[in-house]
Amino acid sequence: MIELRKISKWININGRPNFILKDINLHVKEGEFISIMGPSGSGKSTLLNLIGMLDDPSEGEYFFMGNPVHSLREKQRSHLYKQYIGFVFQAYHLIDELTVYENIETPLIYQSIKSSERQAMVADILDKFQIVGKKDLFPTQLSGGQQQLVGIARALIAKPKLLLADEPTGNLNSRQGEEIMELFQQLNNDGVAIIQVTHSEKNAAYGSRIINLLDGRIELTS
Amino acid sequence: MRNLARSKMNAFINISGLSLGMAVAMLISLWIYDEVSFDQNFVNYGRIAQVIQNVTNNGEVQTWFSVPYPLADELRRDYGSDFKYVVMGSGWGNHLVAIDNRKLKGVGAYFEKDFPDMLTLVMLHGDRNALADPSSVIISASAAKAWFGRENPLGKTVRLDQQPPLKISGVYVDFPRNSTFSGLNFIAPWEFFSKINDLKSMSDPWRPNFTTLFVQLNDHSDFASASLRIRDAKLKRVNPQLARKKPALFLQPMSRMHLYSQFKNGVHAGGDIQYVWMFGIIGVFVLILACINFMNLSTARSEKRAKEVGIRKTVGSLRSQLILQFFNESLVTVLLALVLALLMVLLSLPFFNLVADKQMMIMWGNPWFWIAGLGFSMVTALIAGSYPAFYLSSFRPVMVLKGTFKTGRNAALPRKILVVVQFTVSVTLIIGTIVVYRQIQFAKNRPVGYSREGLITVLLGTPAIHNRFAAVRNDLMHTGVVASFAEAESPSTEVYGSTSGISWPGKDPSLSVDFGQMAGSVDYGKTIDWKILNGRDFSRDFVSDTSAMILNEAAVRFMNLKDPVGTVLTWWDKKYTVIGVIHDIVMGSPYEEVQPIIFHMIVERPDSNSGNVDILRIRPEFTARDAVQKIQAVFRQYDPDEPFSYSFVDEDYAKKFVNEERVSKLAGFFALLAIAISCLGLFGLTSFVAEQREKEIGIRKVLGASAANVWNLLSRDFVGLVGISFLVSIPISYYFMTNWLMNYHYRARLSWWIFLVAGAGSLAITLVVVSFQSIRAAVASPVRSLRTE
Repeated sequence: MIELRKISKWININGRPNFILKDINLHVKEGEFISIMGPSGSGKSTLLNLIGMLDDPSEGEYFFMGNPVHSLREKQRSHLYKQYIGFVFQAYHLIDELTVYENIETPLIYQSIKSSERQAMVADILDKFQIVGKKDLFPTQLSGGQQQLVGIARALIAKPKLLLADEPTGNLNSRQGEEIMELFQQLNNDGVAIIQVTHSEKNAAYGSRIINLLDGRIELTS
Repeated sequence: MRNLARSKMNAFINISGLSLGMAVAMLISLWIYDEVSFDQNFVNYGRIAQVIQNVTNNGEVQTWFSVPYPLADELRRDYGSDFKYVVMGSGWGNHLVAIDNRKLKGVGAYFEKDFPDMLTLVMLHGDRNALADPSSVIISASAAKAWFGRENPLGKTVRLDQQPPLKISGVYVDFPRNSTFSGLNFIAPWEFFSKINDLKSMSDPWRPNFTTLFVQLNDHSDFASASLRIRDAKLKRVNPQLARKKPALFLQPMSRMHLYSQFKNGVHAGGDIQYVWMFGIIGVFVLILACINFMNLSTARSEKRAKEVGIRKTVGSLRSQLILQFFNESLVTVLLALVLALLMVLLSLPFFNLVADKQMMIMWGNPWFWIAGLGFSMVTALIAGSYPAFYLSSFRPVMVLKGTFKTGRNAALPRKILVVVQFTVSVTLIIGTIVVYRQIQFAKNRPVGYSREGLITVLLGTPAIHNRFAAVRNDLMHTGVVASFAEAESPSTEVYGSTSGISWPGKDPSLSVDFGQMAGSVDYGKTIDWKILNGRDFSRDFVSDTSAMILNEAAVRFMNLKDPVGTVLTWWDKKYTVIGVIHDIVMGSPYEEVQPIIFHMIVERPDSNSGNVDILRIRPEFTARDAVQKIQAVFRQYDPDEPFSYSFVDEDYAKKFVNEERVSKLAGFFALLAIAISCLGLFGLTSFVAEQREKEIGIRKVLGASAANVWNLLSRDFVGLVGISFLVSIPISYYFMTNWLMNYHYRARLSWWIFLVAGAGSLAITLVVVSFQSIRAAVASPVRSLRTE
């Protein structure tokens, strides 16, 4: 599903390239569950953003579902992205002005899905995540774990094939974190590929493969 | 201070917007000051008045500013206890001034000898009593310089309009630009005027109204009671027929002469004061707009600084110190804006003077100017600074630093209201400007009933041309450039005379009328190309046409004649037969109804009454310049002493719009500035909102929002606000502009499309301004905004 070839990313500081990622080669098959680990500043989030098409590499090739992302135009890339990828953040990044229901619905609006269809899809996922009772609340009225649940529901609403999670449990206590990880496991079993960035060995263990990053290079995979 | 330097864009918008508003307010204040201080340079400003009269004509009360000449003596004799001075004069206008062999033009007037004393004229040479000698004349300093250079003009002689010479016996300091008498190059004695015009031999001296009469009250008298006492001074003297006009004299104080010069049905109906109010209101609004911007942006910015407040508090800053800091910052900003505004005014004043046709200066020495400027700055700084000063300084640091501090949903409401106010003012000004402009165009395009193209008017100073009319006409035709040539009492853009001596079969004997009167030679109608509706034009084939008359439609309508051609009219004691009726032609104000006019003939014979102008139509195949050269040669030949003075009728007609066009230009100028200020504010506010919603925009982009989605999201709110402003401005501008249009009888309709254009225009401007920021926000990468700190 994902093929990264010799991907590098650098920024120029005082005219000198400063590498964030260097020569990354990575192959991810459909339905895999990968955990990316590494110390702060090792380039984990940048790698995730590159895979998520939020950021462009400075060099290298990226194939997603057979499409050469590095040479696609913005519109096509956006189309790919909307269709196949969902994002979960450490800080949830819910829109404070919108209710739970509206937050989950937003990606569907941007995919121009009809209102009646949207209703059905949101209702379905609310039910699946057992948060129907919270649908009219605003994010600030929820606990951290509940907020992240909404964040995941939002990421999954458009039925993506790939879920990208940037330290999804970083702001949660261990019990909440465990619940989220179990949810991930379940999603993965249903066929959704997951790539998560995490600091926690325990959480990383949920993955079928762990990638260790150090100074922008892949140290080892297991 | 460092805060200003850091957020450069914000500071730029804030300061430039505010200073623009201040500059506009200052310019308008200068203009208003100039208008209301009109004539105030005269020491006796509060005691001087003009004697004017209300007369009943054609069933309505009209106010005339001229009076019969014996009235001056009458007032001096019978009402002398009320007046310190009674000074009569001629109207002022262009005169031929001959000095040695040089022939010049000068603006001047004839006045009685007390005129310099009443106006406390400052004499450079000679004394104020100079006009007591009827063979003397006094001239202005600028005229002295123009006519005599460095030579001493005293004792030199000048000849006015080829009359006997007058000796220059005084030089006075020019009247200021903003005074009734501004531009007078010379003042000659009334006695001289009286002698050369042989006023003493007039058969009914109380009949014609041709003098302007000024008085200065005695110390114990006042305008109201003096007005009452002199009311019937004319009525007592006029013949019974004129008495039907019920002339009622009254005093128009000098303080009202400039700004309150309009009368309707005999009572004050405003005048230029309406423009003082209009621009005053605009000035206040523009200033308010700028202040709104300033406060809006300052408070918007300050919310971002909540964190700074938190940190300062944790390091032990006292609340009072924070309050002081915020006030200081806003005061420094306002003072910077004030300096910038002064600079702007300084730079734009020459241009503004040109547009406004004034000579205004910044009153550096006037303490009020500084008190107003600084006082205003203080107040603005206080209001703009109070929100951050009191509100932000009250935050609890823990809340702010934890990031849980949220400005509530209602925090934006006042700002939204202010944006609505701003755009309401802007849209109203746009609508106003369009309406004024359209009214001018409408009047300009009014069908005048004759053809102005290629028509020129030559002013006649002497009867030389009239006396050899046939020969002149012959020579002119021979030049080949003249299509038609006629003599007339007045140019086709004016009617010099009016008469009350007209009566017709079936006229109510108690009705007093005032018809325009106009005389032209046989070819007059052909030359200006009027359109005959009924009957025929004057003709050389009918000797009887010397007692024939042509009426305009308005006259026929007023007389209510069923079959006008052939009707016999009486004009004073002579009978005239109506031979034709013409389509109304616009000779007076292009905004007013066409008045009833009678046309009679100037006989082309040397001993007859001559006209004041010649009117010629140039053949279209010749350029104006070639034609004028050839025509001038003919006039030179027959009247070598008179300078050839001509004008194009279409240019004369265009001059009728100077006032309205000036208002339109000024209004447009201010509207533009108001919009600019509003846009600056909007720009600042969008950038603030885009920044405030940066995270949300990032999230939405991650969720699949396209740039267009984000642009739409950010622009929608502002477009909605401008939409509300538009709706609010419709009734406001409708009310004001309907009122303004009521000033004009001939007026454009207030069409719906004007509102639509103004609305669409402001919407377009809003979109452009808002898009600057929203597009920038829309294409920004979401990675940065979503990074977790």
